[in-house]
Amino acid sequence: MAIVAQSRMLVGRQKRSRVGGSANWANRDRRVALTMLAPNFILFSIFVGVPVVGGLLLSFFNWGLVGWPHWVGLANYRQLFHDPTVPAAIVNTLLFVAFGVVPTVVIGLLLAVFMNIRAPGIGAIRVLYFVPWAVSFAASAVLWQWIYHPETGLLDYLLALVGINGPAWLSNTTLALPALDVIGIWLTLPVSIILYLAALQRIPETTLEAATLDGAGAYRRLVHIIWPSVRPMTVLVAIVAFLGFTNGSFDLVNIMTQGGPVNATTTLIYYTYYVAFDNVQLGYAATLAIVQLGIVVVFLSLALAAQRVANR
Amino acid sequence: MITQPGIATPARAGTSVNGVTGNVALRRRPPMRRTLRRRLRLLAVLLIGLVLALPLFYLVSASLMSDSQLTTYPPALLPSPLHFSNYSAAWRYLTPRSVLNSVIFTASVVALQWSLCVSGGLVLAKMRFRLRNLFIAIYGITFFVPFITVLVPTFIVTDKLHMINSYPGLIVPVVAQTAFGTLIFRQFIVNLPEELVDAAKVDGAGWWTVLVRVIVPLSKPMTGAYVAISVLTAWNMYVWPLIATSKPSLQVLTEALAPLASSEYATVPQTVGMAASVIATIPMLIAFLIAQRAFVRGLAGTGLE
Repeated sequence: MAIVAQSRMLVGRQKRSRVGGSANWANRDRRVALTMLAPNFILFSIFVGVPVVGGLLLSFFNWGLVGWPHWVGLANYRQLFHDPTVPAAIVNTLLFVAFGVVPTVVIGLLLAVFMNIRAPGIGAIRVLYFVPWAVSFAASAVLWQWIYHPETGLLDYLLALVGINGPAWLSNTTLALPALDVIGIWLTLPVSIILYLAALQRIPETTLEAATLDGAGAYRRLVHIIWPSVRPMTVLVAIVAFLGFTNGSFDLVNIMTQGGPVNATTTLIYYTYYVAFDNVQLGYAATLAIVQLGIVVVFLSLALAAQRVANR
Repeated sequence: MITQPGIATPARAGTSVNGVTGNVALRRRPPMRRTLRRRLRLLAVLLIGLVLALPLFYLVSASLMSDSQLTTYPPALLPSPLHFSNYSAAWRYLTPRSVLNSVIFTASVVALQWSLCVSGGLVLAKMRFRLRNLFIAIYGITFFVPFITVLVPTFIVTDKLHMINSYPGLIVPVVAQTAFGTLIFRQFIVNLPEELVDAAKVDGAGWWTVLVRVIVPLSKPMTGAYVAISVLTAWNMYVWPLIATSKPSLQVLTEALAPLASSEYATVPQTVGMAASVIATIPMLIAFLIAQRAFVRGLAGTGLE
């Protein structure tokens, strides 16, 4: 859940403490500071700094891991426009994120509101909602593979009970992607619920009680009191869910569908991985990764703009 | 790929209360009816929770079924009789080695990264030196770079250092993802009173003593939350171990588990796959139930009780 921290840092305003005083005072602890920071910063530079810069540079080269990288200028970027998988992967990524993030936010809010009551045993009941958080993508893939099984799966059986002839979820080109989304939602809902509960518990109980006494029904309380209070949190939940679904799509796709059927679940992140480690085209993979970076930057800018509006 | 926890400045919750005006007629409900409504709501919360947790119950239940019972139609919900043999079979696929590797990986990643982050956090929070804000900015810039952007170059760096297929290659690149941990601990330590550090220094303590005697003990709540979430992230990490290792002797649990997920081509009975998933999940479930507060606090910051 690193992404929660990341997102929080982005959303929360950083307090900058100023180094003041005379030049000597300002530089008082230089030696010990650099010594103490050294192990951290050196490792960080080698395994994060170099790759970030290297990733940008690599997109201008062709490289198959043996020999020297070969400068190709913008050829990799031109290839983006001739590669038919790229638009499909972008569309899949956007669909996967949209069908994942929107339900995670909406259902998360509704469930959090619903369970935000004081009652004996509520703590134990909430744990039921939180436990999927502890499950890995790999373990949930094993489980859901079986739930989605076309002949003997639990889901199609439940659908049959109400007279629906359930499809073969994961081998259907239309349904495979949303089916993976459902798993992602199941795994991400705990995070959404916990964050919303935290926001809800800052609303004074007296406010809600007063509204109830004034005759405001559940819907009006939700729209007029709860929603304005949790709007800033919604931006955070959306960012967390967005990053979870863009990054998490890899684990699910790689384990469950390998991009299939017929590329229906090939997200950008999975395609990048495929190009890098199956085709060993590291330069082109770096270019694809920059497209992913572009999508993230665009989304975050939108989210931050939304946050500015929400805070107004 | 990144194993940082989630505490920082809590997002500000707006407090404006608008719009509930107009309907002034007081409709006080009799207390009896309110209690009943409350009970019904609690019951509904319980039922929805059970539905959400149902896949997990089903996982445990299916892990104890015989293969033929799992594939009957209509699907059976409860195993009868209990097939504990699935677990011994699953154990053969997962191997004690991959459990050991997961433990080694998780423990060393969390311990090493924690010590880097708490010390780095102190440096960036309380020490005075030029370029401090530059360091903070450098850590901050890498926040939102998606893991796929750095995945390939990180692999190349690790490969060039001849660390692929070794414990250091598995562990160190993950430990090095210190940006968030460092800044999160910085945020926490910045808010600790300056006087605590000053008092220790008046007593003749150096910065290292301050770190060990003052900062680490005072950061306990932060450390608890950080450890809880880092352990969970590292234990469930899949991509980096997949890329950094190909030797079976270095396999971690998630990798051993992943091949059991594909039902189409698997030679492994699904019940065994289920049992393997239970084995891989149970340590985290137990940790989650024990340290639930630390997990929730790690995610939501303070204020959620």
